[in-house]
Amino acid sequence: MNRSNTNFVSKIILFSGLFLALNPAVAEDKPLNIYAVNYPVKFFAESIAGDHANVTLPMPTDIDPAFWEPKAEDVAGLQKADMILLNGANYAKWLPKVSLPLFKLVNTSSEFRDAYISLNEGVTHNHGTGGKHSHTGTAFTTWLDFSLAEKQAKSVFKALSRKQPKLNAGFVQNFIPLQKALLELDVQLTEIGNALNGQALLGSHPVYQYLRNRYKLNLESVHWEPEEAPTEEQWNTLKALVAKHPAKWMLWEGVPVAETVTKLEELGIKSIVFSPVSNLPETGDFLSIMNENIARLKTIRKK
Amino acid sequence: MIDSFYLAWRYIVFNRVKTITLVLCISLISFLPFSLKILLKESEHQLMSRAITTPLLVGAKGNSLDLVMNSLYFSKEKPDFISMKAVEKVMDSYLALPIPLYTRFHARKYPIVGTTLDYFEFRQHNIADGRSFAMLGEAVIGVDVATQLNLKVGDSLLSSPENLFDLAGVYPLKMTVTGVLKKTNSVDDKAVFVDLKTTWVIQGLGHGHQDVKTIQDSSDVLSQSDKLVTTSTKIKQYTEINLDNLDSFHFHGDPSIYPLTAIIAIPQDDKSATILRGRYLSEQKNKQIVRPKRVIEDLLGNIFQIKEFIDAVVFIVAIAMVLAIFLVFSLSFRLRQKEINTILHLGCSRGTVVQLIAAEILIIAIFSGLLCFSSLLVLQNFQGEIVHKLFIS
Amino acid sequence: MYGIDGFHLSIPQLKFEDAEKVAIIGPSGSGKTTLLKLISGIIQPQYGSISIEDTVISQLSDAERRDYRISNIGFIFQDFELLDYLNVQDNILHPFRITKALKIDVQTKARVEALSQEMGIANKLNRLVNHLSQGEKQRAAICRAMITTPKLILADEATGNLDPRNKTKILDALFRSTDKNNATLIAVTHDHELLDRFDRIIDFKQFCEGEGI
Repeated sequence: MNRSNTNFVSKIILFSGLFLALNPAVAEDKPLNIYAVNYPVKFFAESIAGDHANVTLPMPTDIDPAFWEPKAEDVAGLQKADMILLNGANYAKWLPKVSLPLFKLVNTSSEFRDAYISLNEGVTHNHGTGGKHSHTGTAFTTWLDFSLAEKQAKSVFKALSRKQPKLNAGFVQNFIPLQKALLELDVQLTEIGNALNGQALLGSHPVYQYLRNRYKLNLESVHWEPEEAPTEEQWNTLKALVAKHPAKWMLWEGVPVAETVTKLEELGIKSIVFSPVSNLPETGDFLSIMNENIARLKTIRKK
Repeated sequence: MIDSFYLAWRYIVFNRVKTITLVLCISLISFLPFSLKILLKESEHQLMSRAITTPLLVGAKGNSLDLVMNSLYFSKEKPDFISMKAVEKVMDSYLALPIPLYTRFHARKYPIVGTTLDYFEFRQHNIADGRSFAMLGEAVIGVDVATQLNLKVGDSLLSSPENLFDLAGVYPLKMTVTGVLKKTNSVDDKAVFVDLKTTWVIQGLGHGHQDVKTIQDSSDVLSQSDKLVTTSTKIKQYTEINLDNLDSFHFHGDPSIYPLTAIIAIPQDDKSATILRGRYLSEQKNKQIVRPKRVIEDLLGNIFQIKEFIDAVVFIVAIAMVLAIFLVFSLSFRLRQKEINTILHLGCSRGTVVQLIAAEILIIAIFSGLLCFSSLLVLQNFQGEIVHKLFIS
Repeated sequence: MYGIDGFHLSIPQLKFEDAEKVAIIGPSGSGKTTLLKLISGIIQPQYGSISIEDTVISQLSDAERRDYRISNIGFIFQDFELLDYLNVQDNILHPFRITKALKIDVQTKARVEALSQEMGIANKLNRLVNHLSQGEKQRAAICRAMITTPKLILADEATGNLDPRNKTKILDALFRSTDKNNATLIAVTHDHELLDRFDRIIDFKQFCEGEGI
């Protein structure tokens, strides 16, 4: 165990009593009932907790978890959880509209709030002459910056250790390989970013802000959906963008419709999938999908 | 003996005004010290029981008693506001867990307590009917609120304007009752609990309205561009939150500066509490952290000092009353001297005369005692509410 | 009579017959009321003795005198001395309620009924005495005096507060009652127009002047 790990294990031991004393005692043989707001956080929790937790992603698999609209019965399930893992960065848009116990919430990105990326996208509105109220959002796909993903995973680890301090040794054992894998992805993407050297790229959807910033990608996004053919207006917007930002590659969240791919190729733009994997994948897991994403990105570099 | 009581009774009934006056006077002077004792004991119990179970309170610097009374007993005195930043500060300290409170608003005469679900676990409250609030705009009410307003799960409750002419201020929000608490025998029975965010909606920090991008009426839009739409205040804002419009609700500004009235801080242990208190004393210029138990002990100390003074006053008044009653009786017997002489002439003994007088006094004493006792019983029955109204709210 | 050292009444001898109606007259302060008190045992003579039939009143103890008085002597007062907080029936029964020597029983209640009928106030038994006329009040007082079937009636200015018409009526009623019970009536009075109705008149002036009877 290296020094940094030793330091924060000590911190965990120092604070471990707090939440255990103040929260209802959870029998150590009973798995923790954990809810996660997106798949990456769920993956981190499952990887670290193993059999000691049942981690639930409460929303359907075919929607973007950030924009889930829970019903009262869904919220009731969340309220009963032992722990609710949040992504932070205002990810869960539904969070301000529901009531959850504060003590059970774990903001996995609370330690890097200053690293959040502010957005000026979307329509701002104000009311009357009372002054402008900006709808400035915050980019929320924090895990696409794998240095931040590692911090999020660490945050999950700390929360689990506070909750079940006696299982800390097992959590450490599970966390270390995950940490290693995430940091490895960070290294790989840093290399790709360096290799791309400012090559213009396009994003089909504004979800690549952290990827762009961390790995220094010259990426501008439009607001398209993979399963929908863009409108005439959207094509025009793209053309105007490409005129200033001559990209040859577009990153997609999912496999785009063939018609769109063809039309893009006519404009000299190729498509690759870089899935943020916000929700449960049909096949693979977070790490395997990210490795696949990176492999595809590497093909740009080669070309 | 029975004849003496019969004659005494007849006299008392005939002179009912005098009798009632005497009974009331004696009852009152007897009632006062006992009632004071009962009320003070109840107030001590009510105040201390809440205070003991609340380890620390964080609030704006100022009157600590107002802070404690408003946070623990939802009294009308509102402390200055603090912000959600203070909650983050407590959380990030890892010394205590915070339960935020925002008690600015009322639904009719009942306080609306904006808080988190942790409050119920902290106070060990359970739901008797329905469920806890899950969505914005939902409310859980105390059992007395349900009884007195005849509300049940599924009914609605409107928040009240802050003042009669609050024309440009907070809008009444129609809240849906999702649950009724089990009886807690505390001020929580008379409170309306909502999510903290719901109180911010009442305040106007969050709201729901028509989608600005799809407004049909052009007079609703003052200006519009790709990035900015300025609407008129005519735009329809929702005064209730339901499944159809929940999605439209949003908050403006930075939530970390949204207001609170207090934070209940639950420290891990005494050492954590001491450290936390030390930090507030040395670092925080505009916030204070108080121990409710200490504040209430000080308050009770003052109350008991006043009580001793009142006891002394009551004692003096009692002496005066006894002397006055003695005077009334002696004047009465002087007026009846002729009657006494007559019955002595007829053959009544002095002992019987004493018996007759004693019977009168005894009957009056019994009635006074009964009135005093029954009044004390009634007082005991309502002592909780009386204390709450007099000393707490 | 009142002297330098207080009041003195000296009666060498005075005898009253059974069923006799005697009027006592005399100036104020001559001792008329004192005589009634001596006869009834309210006060004791310094010298001599007082007897009623075989009972030497002056030799009884205080308690014995009280019991004897309430059981055997009836009083009628000038101001009636009825209790305003009792109804007529309770006023009549009052002597029974202020002594252990007398007990209210069925016969007592029947006697109340009979006496009140005799006095013409049977329909007023449940009324408070404040609702009675002066004459009715004195009749009620007579009933009270007669309820114990006394041997002796002492009336102190019984007609003093009545109008002339009522005076005659009350005296008639009193005489009827005492005749019926064969009781002796000793009445202190200032009403000279009624004196001829009595069997004997004793003028207390003689006791002031030191003359015997």
